[in-house]
Amino acid sequence: MNSNVVSHQSRKAEILACVEHLAHYLPSQGPIQVFVHHNTLHAFESLKFEEAVLRGKEHFGGEPYWSEARYHRESQCGRISHEDLVAEMQLLPSNSIDAEVMPGIRQSKLRMAMLSAPIKEVSASQLDWLVSETLGELPRFLFEQQDATLSPEWHECRENPTKARRLLRDLYEACRYNTEKFSFNAKSINDDTYSRYRRPSELVNHLYGWNLDGLVNELLIRFCAAFLDQGFAGLQLPGRRDGLWLSFLELYTAPFSLLPDWATSLKRALARIQDESLNAIDVLEESLQFFEVTDDTLDEFLTRSAMVLPGWAGVISQLEESGSNATIKVPHGTLLQFLSIRVLLDRLAMEYTCRQQDIDIDYARYRQELRREQELRAIQEKDVGFLVFQVAKRLGLLPEKIRSMAQSDWGALVKEILKFDSLTRRRVLHCAYERNYRVAIFNAIRVHQQHIESASQRPQTPPVYQTIFCIDDREESIRRHLEEVEPQCETFGAAGFFAVAMNYRGVAEAHYRPQCPVNVKPSHYVREEPVFSAVADDEKRSRRRKRVGQFSLLAHAGSRSLLGGAITSILGSFATFPLVARILAPRITSKLRKRVGSIVQPPSTELHLERQASIPGMSFESLGFSHDEMANIVIRLLQDIGLLSGYSKLVAIIGHGSSSLNNPHESAYNCGACCGGRGGANARAFAWMANHPKVRRLISERGLVIPEDVYFIGGYHNTCNDQIQYYDLDRVPASHRSLFRKLESDLHEARRRNAHERCRRFESASLDITLSEALNHVEQRSEDLSQVRPEYNHATNALCLVGSRKWSRGLFLDRRSFLVSYEPSRDDERGTVLERILQAVIPVCGGINLEYYFSTVDPEVYGCGSKLPHNITSLVGVMSGAASDLRPGLSAQMVEIHEPMRLLFVVQSDAKTMRRIIDSNAAINSLVENRWVQLAIFDPKSNEILVYENNQFVTWDQEKVPIPNVKKSQEWYQGHRDPLPCASVVGGMQ
Amino acid sequence: MSFTVLITYFCLGCVLFPALLLVVLGLSALISLKIRESLVVVLTQWIASLGLVCAFCVLGLMLSSGERFVTIDVGDWVSIEQEQFHFHIRFIFDRLSIPFLILSLVLCLTVATFTRRYLHREPGFNRFFLLYAFFLNGIVLSSVAGTIETLFFGWELVGVSSALLVAFFVDRESPVQNGQRVWGIYRFADSAFLLGALAMHHFTGHGDFAAFVGTEPWPESQSALTANQAFLVGCLLLVAACGKSALVPFSGWLARAMEGPTPSTAIFYGALSIHLGAYLLLRVSPVLESSIGLRVLIVAIGLSTAITGWLISRVGCDVKSVLAYASLTQVGIIVVEIGVGFYYLALIHLVGHACLRTMQLLRAPTLITDYQAIENALGNRLSNQDVAIAGWLPRSVQVSIYRFGYDRGYMDLILDSIFIKSFKNFFLWADRQERRWADFLCGETTQPSKIELHPEEQLALESDSESIIGATSYRKEVQ
Repeated sequence: MNSNVVSHQSRKAEILACVEHLAHYLPSQGPIQVFVHHNTLHAFESLKFEEAVLRGKEHFGGEPYWSEARYHRESQCGRISHEDLVAEMQLLPSNSIDAEVMPGIRQSKLRMAMLSAPIKEVSASQLDWLVSETLGELPRFLFEQQDATLSPEWHECRENPTKARRLLRDLYEACRYNTEKFSFNAKSINDDTYSRYRRPSELVNHLYGWNLDGLVNELLIRFCAAFLDQGFAGLQLPGRRDGLWLSFLELYTAPFSLLPDWATSLKRALARIQDESLNAIDVLEESLQFFEVTDDTLDEFLTRSAMVLPGWAGVISQLEESGSNATIKVPHGTLLQFLSIRVLLDRLAMEYTCRQQDIDIDYARYRQELRREQELRAIQEKDVGFLVFQVAKRLGLLPEKIRSMAQSDWGALVKEILKFDSLTRRRVLHCAYERNYRVAIFNAIRVHQQHIESASQRPQTPPVYQTIFCIDDREESIRRHLEEVEPQCETFGAAGFFAVAMNYRGVAEAHYRPQCPVNVKPSHYVREEPVFSAVADDEKRSRRRKRVGQFSLLAHAGSRSLLGGAITSILGSFATFPLVARILAPRITSKLRKRVGSIVQPPSTELHLERQASIPGMSFESLGFSHDEMANIVIRLLQDIGLLSGYSKLVAIIGHGSSSLNNPHESAYNCGACCGGRGGANARAFAWMANHPKVRRLISERGLVIPEDVYFIGGYHNTCNDQIQYYDLDRVPASHRSLFRKLESDLHEARRRNAHERCRRFESASLDITLSEALNHVEQRSEDLSQVRPEYNHATNALCLVGSRKWSRGLFLDRRSFLVSYEPSRDDERGTVLERILQAVIPVCGGINLEYYFSTVDPEVYGCGSKLPHNITSLVGVMSGAASDLRPGLSAQMVEIHEPMRLLFVVQSDAKTMRRIIDSNAAINSLVENRWVQLAIFDPKSNEILVYENNQFVTWDQEKVPIPNVKKSQEWYQGHRDPLPCASVVGGMQ
Repeated sequence: MSFTVLITYFCLGCVLFPALLLVVLGLSALISLKIRESLVVVLTQWIASLGLVCAFCVLGLMLSSGERFVTIDVGDWVSIEQEQFHFHIRFIFDRLSIPFLILSLVLCLTVATFTRRYLHREPGFNRFFLLYAFFLNGIVLSSVAGTIETLFFGWELVGVSSALLVAFFVDRESPVQNGQRVWGIYRFADSAFLLGALAMHHFTGHGDFAAFVGTEPWPESQSALTANQAFLVGCLLLVAACGKSALVPFSGWLARAMEGPTPSTAIFYGALSIHLGAYLLLRVSPVLESSIGLRVLIVAIGLSTAITGWLISRVGCDVKSVLAYASLTQVGIIVVEIGVGFYYLALIHLVGHACLRTMQLLRAPTLITDYQAIENALGNRLSNQDVAIAGWLPRSVQVSIYRFGYDRGYMDLILDSIFIKSFKNFFLWADRQERRWADFLCGETTQPSKIELHPEEQLALESDSESIIGATSYRKEVQ
């Protein structure tokens, strides 16, 4: 008795531990208002990338790489070369490329033949049909293969199609003949895929095609949406405050209610649970017994149960966490309750269906049956003969040779072919694809240095002005264009929160939101306030705003009610005019709307940055920063970017964000370093701090002298419509105004060119668009209700350069690179500054890149699918269509031009420093060592690149290949839609 | 040119231009001619605009001449005298059809423009516009139909294109399932419609509206049917209207129709096809006049639809279904207005509501921004924490009411258990028989192949069988 209780208790503890554990596998995306990019497979970050993607396939069913056909398309465009394939194939673990597979054919040759074109894996019955249908077509593709060393008989075929057809048929038949003769069993190779654990519901789905999960999902999705609603529904779920479990019990035991056939027993089951006042874990335990879940399958069972609806389970687990800033959170333990309900419903569905179909519940027998069926299928599935046929014709083997093979030779050949399976081939293709880009970049950087050298020969003049942008890949192009417009300027890149970690609330906003990277928890609060003289005016306007808000709320809710709806819809004909206008002419309509809206806009404002109280907080006195903290912030940023001397008179610091319409994912387009917010406020705050005389004095006391005539100005770049706005212009001293005008007009020209360069990727903009048309085009995109691609965001990101701008200046990087400014000469021996930069940059940029990677290789599983049927639910996320799992990740429209490759870091540093940084930072260490990012270091003086491979830095010593020189970026990209290789833009050099 | 000739040309223009669009897009699809996106859009916009211009000209001519009732006779397409069967095509332009026609054309045009960018680069772009052309023809024919046969023809086109648009994303399972469900309900409604048409033929000898709703311009005309005949015909047509407009007891499908791309959802379920049932009732309003029982029935259905729709939309959490049921609420009220006899009010309500709802649905994805904007203007968080149904009711009744809305009035469940289950069982039985038969013929157990491919390859496999063997045929382009 006593031991029974103990085992009971330990079982419970075990269940709790499992739930805790499985929460790590769930997507870590909270409510969609705040979209933070992160590695989709963060759960497997401790594994090597190549292993982790396979685990991802196993766990989530997501594809690890692009399809083979896709890589071959890239290789036809020259994006994967033969060399790349050879180099990457050598790096495969446990291979023996020099071993002979059969006389005269080494493993490497066999594998290259398999990589030269996609291998098709089809079942025998499909094949029979296809062969009889298309045999006449066979010769055509035979001669398209690139590198097969053909034997003389095959050469003849080139001229003689009839002979070719005969020979091919002969070869095919020889392969089929051998397959039948030796009856080689395919399953013995890939055994582990069949022993995968399946939940009973999945088991019967495979066996009998009963979709039990579909039944349960329909009910569960509706309930989760109601329970998690963040304020959209007009009526709240009764008893929601009591938690998921109790509210479910209450809702589904309601009198006078009906249930679908399969769930008719639910009411009874719940009534019993209520009577015996069982809690979630008790019921879960019962259900586990029903499903005969043993201790060793418990973890697997629960994880897979949660994975049926990973989106909903994930958002529950996110809302459980105390840190989330959602309106309505859920108490800890909700995930367990969710699972308990899921498994209970699974059980009811199973009981019902088995009863209905008159089949006994016997999981052991199901498993056996499935196994038998799979074994049967394994032989049918992969038609070995056809596989060998494809390889043989690439290798130029003749039918006679195949026929004369002994059983052991044939077996060895087949084994070798099966061992190099689709996943392995795709891995090699993918690595080769990454390598191709890497080689091009290394080459470009090294070749480009000759321009840098010749530029440094010229007499140096001090910069006219300096600008600091975010490191974001979208800012690469505008920096390049600005440098082309004014070669005498300098640009820097720093993480877009500019070291100002704060909770910020704009003058017309209701709440504070964090404006700093996710992993930083800001304790400072900053408000935007109307300037003192306009306080009265602002009150008037905010009253107006409130009235407009109340009215629109009324209209919003009213149009959905009975009477209000009738009134609004009888007046609804008037809605036609704005509707039609907005759709026909989005840009003009939006300008008009803005003009009308200006009567409620707040007047000129300032940031409340100077704190009076000693401790930061939300009350009026404790808003802002102390002077000491400000000085720290200013020094921190200037040290990071290495701007400690050589100031120009004007330093512009420009944050970024994005605005678009009809876009639930809008937050994902904003600044990642500002937690999905808009970085303008941070730039404004930084400029204010850096200009403050007291702060300047404190800074100079710490040894950093900023000359008195240096003025900082804050700005904001909208990456969607390429508008730039500036803050606090009234404060610009008269002495600096003309210089500001110059900066303004230069930036205006730069943004025009930037818009133009961006337009080349938009299919709806013609390739010969002019600069002004391009600007109009991007402005229209951001105001268009029907635009699902307002901008391409981080798509195509592939590179991150950390170091001085001097050596990357003038290099055309095609908006693919994060640019982080760092000056090794200003750093200490240990690389303290570099360390703190990389602590933020590697996880953040790596996270962005990996989210894009996974959403691209599998938009349905890792991404959120097509944007077109998205349906916002409960204000927590989007579903596809009427009812589906919540869809985290990026949409197919966001990633359609993305090229999935792991981010390549090129850091200006030396091996020793880098080694120390990798060793002493766990987060960096796991990403770098496990190859989630690629790392190389670069020394501009020796023009040498060291690549980090297998725990060591290896010198990159390939010969330099010249890259094109152009005067202006436009010359290089004009007329091209596709990604472009690097070029030296001489016009942008200092 | 005389007035009659001129107006005849314009009236025919209203009908023929949409038909032209259908012919062009349909034929090109039939001969697998892939038209460029921009060309499809230009064609659609131009042809639909010409139709709209014609409609406005008809309106102008009618206003200037004082004529309120124009009929265009295209004649009998089929006529079997001894069986008293005619397939007679006639169009009516009057106070009812012109506003509805103009509304349909304006909304369709707007949505075409919207879709141009919304579906840019989508593989199903041309398919969407083909279905759109079907829909446009259907809605134009339904609005100007002068005989019940013509109306049925338009009505079917609308049904078929709507169901196919629900299932637009054919690569996922649930759109196809839900499309089928919508289609099923539409067929049921159609059968009631057909019975109604037959009954009408039986009573009056032909399907001309004029014969049974009188020859006076709408809505003043008098029905030629007796009260009992009117009740019978009216009830059948009411069932048809219920199915099409998702009135009680068919409201369940409306949420399931939210599977397609946003613009089609907006125009079909928010604006046009959901009002088609109400439009039918307006069209046959003289019949309603002659049977008080029928009117009571209509008011009852309208009222229960309005209340149920309201409750469902209050409880709902996803923006599209909430808007769809809010829409249904208003359709319910419109039906009540028709039942009570406020025809003009119903017409104004219908037109205004269609416009409003289209706009709301088109900007549904912007909900989060809208809420943030409202919160910012009000200066505090919006929260429904304390909204209860009616605090004074006992808790269990509150939960029951909530549950009623939450499960969409149980209508799907009831339909499932009464109708669908028996059909499904029959088809499953048929499926089993077919399998047995096939197994018997093959001499082995047949089973579908379950080889796992990369999703992209899977698509290629389905679309292009040659690509399996033709290793380097990359005809399947992403764009």
